[in-house]
Amino acid sequence: MSLVDVLNVTKEYANGEETIRPLDGVSLSIEEGDYVSLMGASGSGKSTLLNLIAGIDQATSGEINVAGTEITKLSRGKLADWRAAHIGYVFQTHNLIPVLTAYENVELPLLLLPMSAAERRKRVEIAMEAVDLTSRASHYPRQMSGGQEQRVGIARAIVANPTVVVADEPTGSLDDETTEQILQLLSRVNDELGMTLLMVTHDADAGKRAKRQIRLERGRLMENGKETTSAHLRTA
Amino acid sequence: MFKFVPYVLKSLWRHRARTLLTVSGTAVALLVFCFIGSVQQGLLALTSDASADRTLIVFQENRFCPQSSRLPQDYGGTIAKMSGVRDVVPIKVFTNNCRASLDAIVFQGMPPEKLTTARDLSLTSGSMGSFAQQDDAALVGADVATRRGLAEGDKFTIGDVSVVVRGVFQSSVAAENNLIYTHLEFLQRARGANDVGTVTQLEVHLADGVDPDHVAKQIDQEFRSGPVATTTRTKGMFQADTLGDLAELIGFVHWLGYACVGLVLSLVATTTVMSVQDRIKEHAVLQTLGLRPLRVFRLVLIESVVLSTLGGILGVVGSVLILSSTGMSVAAEGVTIAFEPSAVLAVQGLIVSLAVGILAGLAPGWHASRTEIVPALRHA
Ligand SMILES: Nc1ncnc2c1ncn2[C@@H]1O[C@H](COP(=O)(O)OP(=O)(O)OP(=O)(O)O)[C@@H](O)[C@H]1O
Ligand SMILES: [Mg+2]
Repeated sequence: MSLVDVLNVTKEYANGEETIRPLDGVSLSIEEGDYVSLMGASGSGKSTLLNLIAGIDQATSGEINVAGTEITKLSRGKLADWRAAHIGYVFQTHNLIPVLTAYENVELPLLLLPMSAAERRKRVEIAMEAVDLTSRASHYPRQMSGGQEQRVGIARAIVANPTVVVADEPTGSLDDETTEQILQLLSRVNDELGMTLLMVTHDADAGKRAKRQIRLERGRLMENGKETTSAHLRTA
Repeated sequence: MFKFVPYVLKSLWRHRARTLLTVSGTAVALLVFCFIGSVQQGLLALTSDASADRTLIVFQENRFCPQSSRLPQDYGGTIAKMSGVRDVVPIKVFTNNCRASLDAIVFQGMPPEKLTTARDLSLTSGSMGSFAQQDDAALVGADVATRRGLAEGDKFTIGDVSVVVRGVFQSSVAAENNLIYTHLEFLQRARGANDVGTVTQLEVHLADGVDPDHVAKQIDQEFRSGPVATTTRTKGMFQADTLGDLAELIGFVHWLGYACVGLVLSLVATTTVMSVQDRIKEHAVLQTLGLRPLRVFRLVLIESVVLSTLGGILGVVGSVLILSSTGMSVAAEGVTIAFEPSAVLAVQGLIVSLAVGILAGLAPGWHASRTEIVPALRHA
């Protein structure tokens, strides 16, 4: 089985009389160490799919397996625990906690895991080092630039050594130069740290950085001109 | 779970103006709550004091203000011979204000030798000896001394009564600390020749195991046909009757205490609701990172509890300081209610603020924990 298996997943929103179906029975497998970019028109359902895989949204039907756990079957509380252990989430607008310093923001996910204070410190330092912000550890988000904030956001996403790092338009609100920095950083996260990465982006150039490029079109997932399938379905 | 306490405190600090207003509002409300509680405790202490049941007060029938009760002093001799009576203390009461007042001065004149046996006073200055030797000497209760700034050796005059302070005392009975003791004869003469040979009340101390009601009936029976008829009640009953109107008022005021609790509840709840609404997105981010909904609930609860207990502590400490430093009291018709701080009241205040904090955090906390992550993340 692949690291991430999306099986025949549908997501519907009832909007008064009409039903919006951004995901219409999509299937997808992501292997360990993959770097997948997800593109598509605005409103095509990219964030929806990403959020389902990250376990913060519920599918209308279908099944999602991540690292052997069928997350579509977990309760809210269990799902939260699962996210703490397996998901690193990079937001478009970084969403750092304003009252906490860069260091404390990065430490936050570790507070949810059974870990000694010394171990936490070590991990935070490694993550801050990886995004090259050791010197900014005691700064508050408002004291940093957008690019620096996003780097803190990335450090926070990788600090717990998650199974999958998801990023929803991580460069969406950055200028070209900073975008380049962040994309390089994400590539390193994949290359050097070996983390599996799923990135939603609008930017075709950014999408090309990934090892695999997938498009969402009218509720269907396309890769290299063909609809994606699940390895799980193929073997079943 | 305490790992997130710094985050909660920092969040409160971020909105320090709001936090400060809520905490100070809570503090004021709890100060009033404790104040009201101390008035009620003072009233309760009068009627539930150990001596309240074992002591009878003989008063002139149908009289309330001490000035208007005149019993022949020799009634005391008659009562002393009755069975079950251990001791009789003749007392002359003089007060500058019969109506309910926050600054009434109440004199009790009694024979000096009786003062040592009938009362449990410990002198903080002066001596019993110098009091006994001087006709116009006075022993002043600690609270009066504080209120009026009186010290040993001071002379002072209230109405027709001029005395010299020969000691300041502290009594275990809070209300006593608001009294001034003088010699009986002195107070009788000070009020004009008319008063010699009469007393305001007779305090009858009963032997153990004697039924107070029975003796009281016996006394009233004895003097029914005498020159002055009497009404005899236990000390507790006497004080409750005398303070009747005031007690009713105080009973009513305790609703204000509940109103204070309600006020704190709405104040803390409002602030907590605002803080939750401010942070819909932040809570969604925390949930995305893996905070369980229950944990978000607890964070909100901790926040409201911190707000209310902080205010509670300030209010309780403030009330204890004020009550213990001012020695305030209210008196009517010669009976005094002392406002005393007490550990029970302080603990009560803290428990109330803690409980209110929990209560105030329940709804906002539940709301925060039920928030759907994805829509909340889209929240501006
Ligand atoms: N709570 C909701 N209720 C109704 N419709 C919704 C809701 N959330 C999302 N949608 C709809 O689902 C579709 C997919 O939304 P989604 O956010 O996944 O798109 P997207 O591909 O990420 O778009 P963008 O590139 O603009 O971020 C959109 O048409 C959106 O309007
Ligand atoms: Mg999107």
